[in-house]
Amino acid sequence: MTKRFEEIEHTADLALRVYGQDMRELFANAAYGMFAMMAEPSLEGPTREREVSLEAMDYESLLVDWLNELIYLHEVERETYSQFNIQTLSPTKLKAHVIGGPTRIKTKAIKAATFHDLAIKETVNGLVATIVFDV
Amino acid sequence: MVSKKDMKQVEEYVYEIPKGFRDDMRVPARLYADEELLEMALKDRSVEQLVNTATLPGVVKYTLAMPDIHQGYGPPIGGVIPLRTSDGVISPGAVGYDINCGVRLLRSNILAEEVKPIMDDIVNALFRGVPSGVGRSGDIKLTQRQMDEVLEKGSAWAVSQGYGTKDDLEHTEERGGMAGAEARAVSKEAGKRGHDQLGTLGSGNHFVEVGEVEAIYDEETADAFGLFQGQMVVWVHSGSRGLGHQVCTDYVRDLQKAVTKYNIKLPDRELVCAPFDSPEGRDYFAAMASAANYAWANRQILAHRVRQVLDDVLAGLVKDRELTLVYDVAHNIAKVEEYPIDGKLTRLIIHRKGATRAFGPGMRGLPADYRDVGQPVLIPGDMGTASYVLVGTTKAMEKTFGTSCHGAGRVMSRSAAIKKIRGQELQRELLEKGIVVRGGDWKGLAEEAPDAYKDVDRVVNVVHSTGIARKVARLVPLGVIKG
Repeated sequence: MTKRFEEIEHTADLALRVYGQDMRELFANAAYGMFAMMAEPSLEGPTREREVSLEAMDYESLLVDWLNELIYLHEVERETYSQFNIQTLSPTKLKAHVIGGPTRIKTKAIKAATFHDLAIKETVNGLVATIVFDV
Repeated sequence: MVSKKDMKQVEEYVYEIPKGFRDDMRVPARLYADEELLEMALKDRSVEQLVNTATLPGVVKYTLAMPDIHQGYGPPIGGVIPLRTSDGVISPGAVGYDINCGVRLLRSNILAEEVKPIMDDIVNALFRGVPSGVGRSGDIKLTQRQMDEVLEKGSAWAVSQGYGTKDDLEHTEERGGMAGAEARAVSKEAGKRGHDQLGTLGSGNHFVEVGEVEAIYDEETADAFGLFQGQMVVWVHSGSRGLGHQVCTDYVRDLQKAVTKYNIKLPDRELVCAPFDSPEGRDYFAAMASAANYAWANRQILAHRVRQVLDDVLAGLVKDRELTLVYDVAHNIAKVEEYPIDGKLTRLIIHRKGATRAFGPGMRGLPADYRDVGQPVLIPGDMGTASYVLVGTTKAMEKTFGTSCHGAGRVMSRSAAIKKIRGQELQRELLEKGIVVRGGDWKGLAEEAPDAYKDVDRVVNVVHSTGIARKVARLVPLGVIKG
């Protein structure tokens, strides 16, 4: 299986390099990577599902908004998500269906995803983005 | 990357990156550091982030970084950005997500020697009595109306509910309630994140620490601050919790459009901003001030809990168990202050990101009992070394927009700290040094290990030697709870 994300060095905060064959996969992997650092869902009982619908000015803004919306839902609904189905994605619109469960373990508080140094780049192996999170 | 050869030394411990270093710089950028701290700063991207701050519209004189500088997002931690209110910008990214993360110091008439034998009990009682840890909620659930009052009144709301005294307000920056706060500028989402987190410590580098005044450097000022050698003191370090994080998230998102609307060119999108004197700028200021007030109310309630816990645990052991607030300072904030620029008193919006206001003697806004000596500047170090109380100086008003450093500053990433240090071992090592530590989880403890921080003595030495704050007392930790 290809690498979905990796943690890279940052003196004070948390930085993830995220990969994807296409934009949808990049967005899903960014969310997957973030939750892998942050918390674990309960595997017992019914799953929790949420719809996310966002508009922004470009892909980078949309990526930051997407992650911040999930941080918001995680904190307010006390849920942790592990499946991210990106249904619609254009440079200005995102619709997604996310699935998870009640948060079982919180491992790290992530305050927000930032725009710092954020650029979605095309490489020969697909798309890559580095995201810095305030922790 | 910026290198040493791009800088000139303007005085001992002060390095300047000239305006000509990059075409988009509007003013030079200055870094306070000794040789070793400078080398550390050049290892990551913090100096480049400092240079970025010098490009913001309306910036005056120079932007600054304190000796505890380290890499952040947007500006570096330890950054100070002075911008004209008339034609300059205000930037949510430059204040950061933990709006008014700050620290307060409580003093006592208790000798450290009296409490050392029961430090285990004290730390355990604090751990039980002060809600801490990742995403932890507390027992206060705010209604919308109460939330609006917290946002607009800050610490005064907490005191009105019985959490503390009026004297606490006197000894809090802005009296714990910043003018210009408007609850309407804070989103429903931010309110939802914050409604059950008031009076909670949070996680990361937040802590409650019982310490001892180890050394006094300036008897007269220490006396004015009520500090003496051998005294037990308590530090409380926390911020605006999820509410502040969401306020920043909201405005970093919404102001992206303002950057296009006002045709602002930025080297980093996280420095997103809007003219201070614009509807977008005014809204952010109102929301930021509200989040700052939430943080002050939070530290006020946390201090109340600390007082209750210590009153309980020390009953029968010491008679006078009163804890008095020395001062409370903000580390992440933007404030309107006036400074002479080109010979003319100018209103500026001073952004401090991981930096402490350090007002000198005679400044308006200082409590009456400190007006002649200057503002207490509280510098928490790491949990194994030391912390300092300094005092603000007239030189800080002239050189650094009344600002000093805010801590030791990180030098090791959190992931490297976890790889290198084990939480359990760290706890044992600290105990051997006479420091009792409890944290929510071992990894979180390892991330905050003393080795992950710069040498606080070195950082404070730069501040003291350059005269932007003067050493008053050195304090050492005895017991710590980490969030």
